[in-house]
Amino acid sequence: MLASLHSSNTSQAPVAHFLSEHSCLSIDHFSLAYAGKEALRDLTLSVPRHRVTAFIGPSGCGKSTLLRAINRLHDLNESVTHSGQVKLEGQDIHDPQMNVTELRRRVGMVFQTPNPFPMSIYENVAFGLRLQQRLPKRKRDDIIEWALTSAALWDEVKDRLHRSAWQLSGGQQQRLVIARTLAVQPDVLLLDEPASALDPISTLKIEELIRNLKSELTLVLVTHNMQQAARVSDYTAFLHQGELVEYGPTDQVFTNPRLQRTENYITGRIT
Amino acid sequence: MTSVSANSASRHPRFSRVNDLWPWLCAASVALSLLMLGALLTLLLVRGLGHFWPATLEEITLSSGETFAGQAVREVALPQQDGDERLYFTGNQDIDGVRWRWVAIDEIVERAQPTDLIRLDRSPWGDFIGRLVAIEQHGQRWEGDAAWQQLATLLKLPANQRQESQLLLTTVDGQILRQPLANVVSAQTPNAMAWWQKTFAWGDAVWRFLSEGPRAANTDGGVWPAIFGTVLMVILMSVIVTPFGVLAAIYLNEIAHQGRLTRLVRIGVRNLAGVPSIVYGVFGLGVFVYGVGGSLDEWFFSDTLPSPTFGTGGLLWASLTLALLTLPVVIVATEEGLARIPEAQREGAVALGATRLEMLTRIVLPMAAPAMLTGVILAVARAAGEVAPLMLVGVAKLAPQMPIDGEFPYLHLERKFMHLGYHLFDTAFHGEDVQAAIPLVYATALLLVLIVLVLNLTAIFLRHYLRRQRGNEC
Amino acid sequence: MTPPRLSSSRQRLLQDRVATGLITAGGVGVLLAILAIGVFLVWETLPLLVIGDTLALAKLSPLAWGTLKAALAALLFAIPVALGAAIYSALFMSARLRSRIKPALEMMEAIPGVVVGFIAGLILAPWVERHLASALMLIIWLPLSAALAGLLWQLAKTRLRRRLPLSWAGLWLVPWFVFMVAIALWLAPWLEQHWLGGDLRQLLDQRYGMDYATRNALIVGIAMGFAVIPSIYSLAEDALADVPSTLIEGAQALGASRWQALWKVALVAAGPGIFSAIMIGAGRAVGETMIVLMASGNTALFSASPFEGMRSMAAAIAIELPEASPGSQTYHLLILAALVLFIFTFLVNTLAEVVRQRLRRRYRQIGGTL
Repeated sequence: MLASLHSSNTSQAPVAHFLSEHSCLSIDHFSLAYAGKEALRDLTLSVPRHRVTAFIGPSGCGKSTLLRAINRLHDLNESVTHSGQVKLEGQDIHDPQMNVTELRRRVGMVFQTPNPFPMSIYENVAFGLRLQQRLPKRKRDDIIEWALTSAALWDEVKDRLHRSAWQLSGGQQQRLVIARTLAVQPDVLLLDEPASALDPISTLKIEELIRNLKSELTLVLVTHNMQQAARVSDYTAFLHQGELVEYGPTDQVFTNPRLQRTENYITGRIT
Repeated sequence: MTSVSANSASRHPRFSRVNDLWPWLCAASVALSLLMLGALLTLLLVRGLGHFWPATLEEITLSSGETFAGQAVREVALPQQDGDERLYFTGNQDIDGVRWRWVAIDEIVERAQPTDLIRLDRSPWGDFIGRLVAIEQHGQRWEGDAAWQQLATLLKLPANQRQESQLLLTTVDGQILRQPLANVVSAQTPNAMAWWQKTFAWGDAVWRFLSEGPRAANTDGGVWPAIFGTVLMVILMSVIVTPFGVLAAIYLNEIAHQGRLTRLVRIGVRNLAGVPSIVYGVFGLGVFVYGVGGSLDEWFFSDTLPSPTFGTGGLLWASLTLALLTLPVVIVATEEGLARIPEAQREGAVALGATRLEMLTRIVLPMAAPAMLTGVILAVARAAGEVAPLMLVGVAKLAPQMPIDGEFPYLHLERKFMHLGYHLFDTAFHGEDVQAAIPLVYATALLLVLIVLVLNLTAIFLRHYLRRQRGNEC
Repeated sequence: MTPPRLSSSRQRLLQDRVATGLITAGGVGVLLAILAIGVFLVWETLPLLVIGDTLALAKLSPLAWGTLKAALAALLFAIPVALGAAIYSALFMSARLRSRIKPALEMMEAIPGVVVGFIAGLILAPWVERHLASALMLIIWLPLSAALAGLLWQLAKTRLRRRLPLSWAGLWLVPWFVFMVAIALWLAPWLEQHWLGGDLRQLLDQRYGMDYATRNALIVGIAMGFAVIPSIYSLAEDALADVPSTLIEGAQALGASRWQALWKVALVAAGPGIFSAIMIGAGRAVGETMIVLMASGNTALFSASPFEGMRSMAAAIAIELPEASPGSQTYHLLILAALVLFIFTFLVNTLAEVVRQRLRRRYRQIGGTL
């Protein structure tokens, strides 16, 4: 069902359409520098709601940096400076009024290597919930089951919820991390090369999961794997040396890129 | 040139060159270090534990016809002439005025080990070695075997219930002594004891050493107040050093801007671990005792001046000084633990909407807990063995009052206290009869070394476990 | 199956801000307290400088001499043994043995100074006094017997050599040493009788005019050397073990023998690390109080003789400071001694740490991912 949605709805969608009313995240003339060294230069793009958007580009092009900026993870590093705006549902995330923990709850993030906490599977998923509010155990159990089910992990772990999360396989760990993020009900899910440390079968499972999650929330995927971007994303942004080179529906970017640079990268001439 | 000789050496393995001996000298260094360590520990073990074993008593007849009884201690060569002399511990200080006797071995005519020789441990006057003639109580009198049995029953009573009893004793050269039973601590006939009786007596003696207070100017009795003082001081110190050390480590590792200044501060903290402990003692004396303590006395205890309350060394100042001394240990260990936690864990927590405090308390600190514990254990081990700074800030040769008692406010932070290490130093170097005290010093040293080594081993195992756990994760 | 919306509160952010403030305050406070040590020592020494009492400073010089003498004696004993042990365990020892021996040797560091001082002052010192010739002979005899073991091993049959490999020599040389010590102790009185006229101490006194004090630099050297060996060993071993193995293998591939590879490459590469290990050892030797206090006799003498005692600054502080009334000249003088100790150890340790960090960076460049 989702696959058909993918092919029918998005491939013909004009660029102007997703830039306006359907946009969930909009990035406006955004630049960012590490200790004075520019990593992102004047990016402007907008991420449509309930779609998968992929950021591709060679290593060091700034795609992970951009992803981390959306979650304001750079707050932990004092040498980072930025200008321009990143808007989540119309609200600037760098606004002093913006509650950064609330922002991070709304914008979930999954990292390259699975990073489950050293506690049980149950506690991992409950971690974010416990931060937000005190829930009755019944309710909490329900949310945890829902999150694990959404992450396609429930059947595999329902009998060992109280075992250590570190005993899971790499692919299971990554899905656990996704479940942990889903449990706090984010609006956007950022995935930073979520399958790069996994074997092919686990990778397929993660990709399938990404496609399925589209109905629940907006996804942004950073990947260095062209086929993966082509397989799962609806829109693709090509970044190179901190700049946005090309952005559009995935089919268009892959089959008929407007710029030579994009074509070179996609066909493997720049790495 | 060199390559030729190297080749010939490899072709003729028996051809040895000076160069090939170097590794042996290096191996010898390891062997020598192990030997020294082993010798030290063996010496402490043998002499420290051996002291409590009931020693065989000898009755000696000299060529001059004189007789005495005692325990053979050691032999050395006679100065300026052939032959050896032997040292005997004879006890009976109240009768003879001395407790030791050197005898040339050539002069000994007869060595016997009669089973009826008894050894009493008394307070005052220390050991008596001789024979039991009779025991008298309320006009009743027991002699022979009956007397010995009666003595054994009476010794089980508390001292104040045997006021009326008296022992009639005789030394081997026939002097008679009337000994009030109330002053007798224990009695044994070591020559008549079977090995299991001796083992039992040994266990009893070890227990009394650990559980009783010192007697006879620290040359006899136990070390309980010193153990108590050491433990209390170390606990107070840990209570002070743990939060501050952890706080400083968290600040340095998690909050401070990681620039040049932080790096300098970190090197500085690391180096403080190498600053001599006596310097901390000087600081403690100058700042805590004279500075803070002196001011406290002026403000709150002016009625007892000029005799100081807090303006002199005491438990609190000693704990504070040692806390400062061990602060670098805790900071360094905690920082190592914090640095080893993968950044991904922190980011994972933050990305779920945790604040820094929540990230620290829920993820980082639990993961760093074993490292912190290691640091605290190492700090405790260091503090337990440290003596020099305590000499300046509050340790006492013999503390009249324990720092904890039933009197309000129960814990008396201003009191002086006893410490195992200082007790050892003081008994060995300032005692009246060092010769008599040495066995106890050995036992104290053994106890101290055991405490410190066990603490260090715990820390090593903890660290090892920690490394392995982290290793699995990678 | 949509769960209810979750609420978030500003209270958590406030809590976080307060906690961060508290941690910062606590951390900075602790660091300031540490800084206060130096400030206090300088402050209390100022009166001396204001008076400009050079005579008072002259009083400190025998103590400084004593400190140096004790530290030198300890380092003379500790450096060869510790470095030898470090070289052996980093480069020759079997990995299994090393994982056991290294903690055991590091345990030596944990033995309290007061225990070492007691053994040295009350047990070792009288024994050496009575058996000076034996003690001196042991110092020469032990290295010789190690070399002898090496020679015998090279001459031995292959089967025996396989049974007693060099990689385990650190362990099986121990009984060999016990045997050799027994031989030395048995031979020494006889040698003393025949070559040295019966009594070495008398000879020293009559021919060279050397006094013999029971507690002297020799005893301090051995005892404090014992205490310093583990700290030098541990750091030097780390430095040697961290030398990228590519370096040593490279040298061996060029035809160098194992010892040549070690001497020309590993020792040179680890040189800064070894230097910093020795610095740390020196810092410890200078500041050690209880061992010197108990094993040196505490006589403030200007004497270079290894058979005479000394009084170090640390020991002088421990003995005299509790009796000195605050504000008196002695009090300030002793605090000056503490300041000197503080500055010396701090500088030496900083130097060692900086050298060590630079070395680590260099290894990372050479060894790549190692």
